[in-house]
Amino acid sequence: MTLVRLALRFQRTGVIAMSALGAIGVIVNALGFAQIVGDSPADRAAFAAQMELLGKQLSYLLPVPSRLDTLAGYLEWRWFGSVGLLFSFWALVSATGAGRGDEERGFVETWLASSVGRLRYVAARVAGFALAAALALAALAIATWIGAQLAKEAIAVGPLVLESVSLFGLALASYAIALFIAQLVTTRRGALGVGGVVLLALYFVDAAARVSDPSLLTRLSPFWYQEQNRPLLGEGLDPAATLAMFAFALVFIVLAAVAFERRDLGSPLVRGRTSSGQRITRPARNPLWRLPVLAPIWQQRVWIAGWAAGLAVVAYFIVSLTKTIVDSMASGPPLMRLYLERAGLSGYSAFVGVIWFSILILLLSLYTVAQVAGWSADDAEGRLATILSAPVPRARVVLERIAALLLGCALVVAVSSVAAYFAATGQAIDLDVPGFALASALILTVVFALGAAGHLLAAWRPRVAVIAISAIAVWSYFLQQLAPLFGWPDVVKNASLYALYGTPMSEVNWAGITTLVGIGIVGTVSSLWAMQTRDVGA
Amino acid sequence: MTEAIQTQGLTKDYGSGRGIFALDLTVNEGEVFGFLGPNGAGKTTTIRLLMGMIHPTSGSGRIFGLDVDADAVTVKRRVGYCPGELPQWGGWRGAEVVAYVAGLRGDVTDDEVGRIAERLDLDLARKYREYSHGNKQKLALVLAFMARPKLVILDEPTSGLDPLHQQAFYGLVRDARSGGATVFLSSHVLSEVEHVCDRIAIVRDGKLVTVSTLDQLAGIRAYRIEIDFADGVPAERLRAVPGFELISSNGQRATGMLRGNFEPLMAAVAGHRITGLVSREPSLEEVFLTYYSDSAAPTVGQR
Repeated sequence: MTLVRLALRFQRTGVIAMSALGAIGVIVNALGFAQIVGDSPADRAAFAAQMELLGKQLSYLLPVPSRLDTLAGYLEWRWFGSVGLLFSFWALVSATGAGRGDEERGFVETWLASSVGRLRYVAARVAGFALAAALALAALAIATWIGAQLAKEAIAVGPLVLESVSLFGLALASYAIALFIAQLVTTRRGALGVGGVVLLALYFVDAAARVSDPSLLTRLSPFWYQEQNRPLLGEGLDPAATLAMFAFALVFIVLAAVAFERRDLGSPLVRGRTSSGQRITRPARNPLWRLPVLAPIWQQRVWIAGWAAGLAVVAYFIVSLTKTIVDSMASGPPLMRLYLERAGLSGYSAFVGVIWFSILILLLSLYTVAQVAGWSADDAEGRLATILSAPVPRARVVLERIAALLLGCALVVAVSSVAAYFAATGQAIDLDVPGFALASALILTVVFALGAAGHLLAAWRPRVAVIAISAIAVWSYFLQQLAPLFGWPDVVKNASLYALYGTPMSEVNWAGITTLVGIGIVGTVSSLWAMQTRDVGA
Repeated sequence: MTEAIQTQGLTKDYGSGRGIFALDLTVNEGEVFGFLGPNGAGKTTTIRLLMGMIHPTSGSGRIFGLDVDADAVTVKRRVGYCPGELPQWGGWRGAEVVAYVAGLRGDVTDDEVGRIAERLDLDLARKYREYSHGNKQKLALVLAFMARPKLVILDEPTSGLDPLHQQAFYGLVRDARSGGATVFLSSHVLSEVEHVCDRIAIVRDGKLVTVSTLDQLAGIRAYRIEIDFADGVPAERLRAVPGFELISSNGQRATGMLRGNFEPLMAAVAGHRITGLVSREPSLEEVFLTYYSDSAAPTVGQR
C-alpha cells in the first residue's frame, strides 16, 4: 500500500493538471453552448444543423456529432470527443515515467533494493495511475454537472458515470500500451517518441474508420472502442467495446510486467551489442559533433527523424482525405456550401491550408515543449555545467538552443510539407505551392515565439518551465477555439499565439507574424538576461 | 610566486547557515592544493563559485588575476573542471561526449585525449549509460585534463575510482604539476590529499578552519594509545595526565588519545605493571575528524 501511495504521489501534478484542464474545458464549452444555442426549439435545431456541418468537416479529428441541440450531445462531441486523446497523452507521459524515467533517475533501483518485487512494482504503478485517472475523471464528471447547472441544462448523473468509465478504460489501455513500449526501448525520451507515434497511429486508425468502413486494423485501436460508447446521448455503454478496452489494458499490463521481469534494469527487453567491440580512446571523428547548432541537431537526429516521419504520415493522411471530405460537404445543401465559403474551406487547397496547418501548429508546439523539457533537464542533469565549464559564453548556449530548435522544426516542417505535396499531387489537388511554402515557413515564427518564451522559463525557473510552456500552448489553443464562439474582441483573440499565425494560405496576417517575431525576440533577449544572472543548477 | 586562485571574503549564502562565508584563500601557481571538509561544508559551493556557475552573494574570487564572475569565459580558457556530481549524457558514446566538449573548447588535441584515456584505461566507444560509476568519473577526468589547462579544478575526483586507477589519477596530477599547472582538488578522503597535495585547507560549516602544509597539519596530530594493565586501569591517574583523553576503560585495557608529550603519561603509569602498550600514529583521517567533532570523543562511562 505504501508503494501505491508513493506511485499516486508521483501523479499529483498530472491529476491536478488533468482535473483543471478537463474541468475548465467542459465548463467553458457548457457556457459556450448556453450562449449560442438559442432559446426556442427552432433556434436549437438550426444551431444543431449548422454545427453538424462543422462536425462532418472535423470527423477526422472528432467523433461524428449527434443530438447537438442538447448540451449532452454537444459535450459528447465537442469535449468528450477530444478529452480522450488528452487522457491518452497523460497516460503516455505517466507510463514512460514509470517505465523508464524513474529508472533513469535511480528510483526503481532503490525500490527494488528495498525488497519490492518487480511484479509488485508494476502493479503499484498501474494502481497509482488508475487511482489518479479515477480522481481526474471524477473531477471532470463533477465539473460537467456544475457546467450543466450553470448553463441551466440537464445532464443525468448516471450517464456521466458511464462516460467516466469509458474514458477510464481508454486511459488505462493507453497507459498499458505505453508501459509495454517503455520496456522495449532504452530511454524515456525514446519511449515517449515511440509510444507517441503508436498512440497517434491508433488514434488515426480510429479517425480513418469514421470516413470509411472499419477494418481489422480498427479493432486494434482502443480509441475506436471508446468511441463506440456515447453514454451522454443515453445510449449507455457498449459492453463488448468496454470489455475490449479493459482487455487491452490487461494484456499490455501483463506483457509489460513480464518484460520488466525478464529485462535488465537500464536495458531494453531485447538488447543489442553494447559496442562494436573495438576499443576507442579518441574523440568521435564526425565533425558535426564539434560544430555549433549542428552538434545538438546531430545528437537529436533520431528524435528529429521520428518527428519528421510521424508528421509526414499525418500530412499524407490528412491531405489524402481532403477530396473526400470537401466533395461530400460541397455536394450537400446550399447552406453547407455557404459555410465552406465562409470558413475559407471552399477549395481543396484552402482546406489543406486551414486544416493541415492547424494540426501542424499543435504538433510543433508539442515538439517545442519537448525541447524546453530537454533544456530544463540539461540543467538538472549537469550537462549545462559541463558546457559552461568550457570557455563558452552563456549567451551562446541560449542562441544555439533556439537556433537548433528552429532548424530542427524547419527540417520536420520541410519533410512533412513534401509529404503533403506528394499526397496532394496523388489526389490531383491543385495545391497553391507558393502559398503552402510561405505558410510552412511562417509557422516557424510560432515555434520561435513559443521556444523563446520556453527558454526564458527554463532559464528563470527550470522546474516549472515545462508546465508553464504547456499551459501557454493549451491557453493559445483554447483561446483560438473559443474567441470566435463567444465573439470575443480581436485583442483577446490575439492573446493566442496560434491566432497570431492565422491562416496564411488564404491571407497572411503580417501584423500577427510581426508580433510573433517580436515575442520571440523579447523572449530571447530576456532569456539572455536570465541566463546571465542565474545560478546554474539552482 | 603568483596566485592561481585568490578569494577575498567570498560568500554564497543560501540561508539557514548553508553556503560558504567570507572565504579568504590563496592558491599559488604550480601547487597542488587540497580543499577538505565533510559533506555540506561548502566545498562544492566554493568550486562552483570559482567556475562561475553560481554568483557570489558578496566578496570576490580571482583566477590568474581575472574575476571568476565577470571574466568567466576568459578564465575557463585556462581551467579544466571535473564536477562533483557527474552529468548524465544518456545514450551518447564517450567519444561523442569528448568530441562535443572538445568542440566547445576548441583547444583540445585528439592525441592528448588518447593519452589520458589510455592512462585511465577508458573505452570511449561505449555509451555513457553503460559506463559504471568509475568509468563516468574517468570520463569527467578526461574532460578536465584534455586541454592541458593551467589550472585544474577537481571536485572529489577519485569518487568511484578503484585503487589502481586512483594511482593513475595521482600520476595525472603529478604530471600536471610538473608541467607547471596548478591543481585545486576537493576531497573528504584524507589519504587522497596525503598522496598529492602540497597544502591543505579545511572548511567546516561554510567557514575556513585552517590552511596549512601537510607537515604543519601533522604537528597537531594526536596518538592513539592502548595500554594493558595487569592490575586494572588507574583511570583517575590517567584522566589527570595533561593532553591525554581517556576514551574507554575496559577491564584491564585503557584506550585514549594523547596530544603532546609522552612523558607525563609515562610518569603516571610508572608504578603499574604494564602487559602491553600500543601507540599508533593516527592517519590524517583521524586528525581531520578532530577538527569536525563538536565535542570531544566519548569518555569513560559514556559508552
